[in-house]
Amino acid sequence: LPAAGDSLRLCSTRVRLEGINRPVVDRIIRVDHAGEYGANRIYAGQMAVLGRSSVGPIIQQMWNQEKEHLKKFNELMVAYRVRPTALLPFWNVAGFVLGAGSALLGKKGAMACTVAVEESISNHYNSQIRTLMEQDPEKYKELLQIIKQFRDDELEHHDIGLEHDAEAAPAYSVLKTAIQIGCKAAIFLSERI
Amino acid sequence: VRCQLSPPQRPLQASAVLRVSDGQKEPWAASSQQQLDSHPADHHPEREPQGPRPSYTGQGGQESEDYESEEQLQHRILTAALEFVPEHGWTAEAIAEGAKTLGLSVAAAGMFHSDGSELILHFVSQCNTKLSELLEQEQKLVQLGEAEKKPTDQFLRDAVETRLRMLIPYIDKWPQALSILLLPHNIPNSLSLLTSMIDDIWHYAGDQSTDFNWYTRRAVLTGIYNTTELVMMQDSSPDFEDTWRFLENRVADAMNMGNTASQVQSTGEALVQGLMGAAVTVSKAETSRAAR
Repeated sequence: LPAAGDSLRLCSTRVRLEGINRPVVDRIIRVDHAGEYGANRIYAGQMAVLGRSSVGPIIQQMWNQEKEHLKKFNELMVAYRVRPTALLPFWNVAGFVLGAGSALLGKKGAMACTVAVEESISNHYNSQIRTLMEQDPEKYKELLQIIKQFRDDELEHHDIGLEHDAEAAPAYSVLKTAIQIGCKAAIFLSERI
Repeated sequence: VRCQLSPPQRPLQASAVLRVSDGQKEPWAASSQQQLDSHPADHHPEREPQGPRPSYTGQGGQESEDYESEEQLQHRILTAALEFVPEHGWTAEAIAEGAKTLGLSVAAAGMFHSDGSELILHFVSQCNTKLSELLEQEQKLVQLGEAEKKPTDQFLRDAVETRLRMLIPYIDKWPQALSILLLPHNIPNSLSLLTSMIDDIWHYAGDQSTDFNWYTRRAVLTGIYNTTELVMMQDSSPDFEDTWRFLENRVADAMNMGNTASQVQSTGEALVQGLMGAAVTVSKAETSRAAR
């Protein structure tokens, strides 16, 4: 057990858990948390390689936004009493390797990776928004608002990537497809495990 | 009297049971009420109608206020059966006796498995619900400022002790129950009850971890709970004081493990920094020697 007191606080953050479709919301929060955690690690990997280059500030800025996202999902996870995915240690390493690896292909490679990942994440958020809207827009208003905001942020990152010549990266379409397949697999696994 | 009945006949037998006891001529449709009446979180029997006998009157099969679903009836029978467990064990006999106190025929025991699985699972579920309620009340007191917030190790100790004390009236027959809970067909249910109880305890202890610690903490507490339960089975000291001392030591071990882990980590980090510094110094020394 970690040193008592560091992440133990009075559980005052509560959410009305009655009437919520637990399985659906559980999955949504678990996979989104995993996604933001992975995105954090990807940007960390990219910064490790390209931190001192000209795109360093841009990547740092996007990374800061992802940190905010992760913080928000940490709060939601506690409020809704959702268990985190057991694959977090794996995403920790895989994310960093993907970020560093794509950055080693150059600035455009890093941007291509960003474009691929952010596109996957935006589509994924969109389908979650659809699911929640189908269930009950009123009941899930807060959650919907958060996911919509984050989806917009991810789309912004996607556009930034395109602006910085992602499409000129070496083997752009192959790279993009491979990364997106990986994202789909990660989403599938994190929802369940 | 042990009633061995094959599953497809149980609903029929159930309604036969009720007809025998109440003289009701109406067929009793159980399934339609399940969705309306059963609450997943509600383990307590519905409010007791006047007297021990439930009333099943309804006009033409419509529900009345006293109408009860099969699940609620089963809960009431099993709750009543617990009184007879110290004498009969976790068996169909205890269930039959329980049914008798509710004014039902002993054939009601036919609604359940003959190995007493449902009775044990019902008991465990009831204990877990009671524990959750107690922890909830305690939390409210702390939030209102009427009680001190306990340190984590004491909180865990008290929660586990409270939960294990609920076994005391049934302690002689509990080893039998544990072995039944380990039967393959019971494992999904018993495991799910165990994990949700442990999760509840950590939640009220204030756990807010969202990383792998979530799993580590629950695994450690599950280990503590299970071993303490086993120690309790063999404990003959007055008021189980040996068990509580064992529990205290295990919780202390777990807290130490956490402290040790963070100590190891900071030592490791310091070591790495030291080595890096040494490497830089050596390489600078080499460069300057080569330059000379």
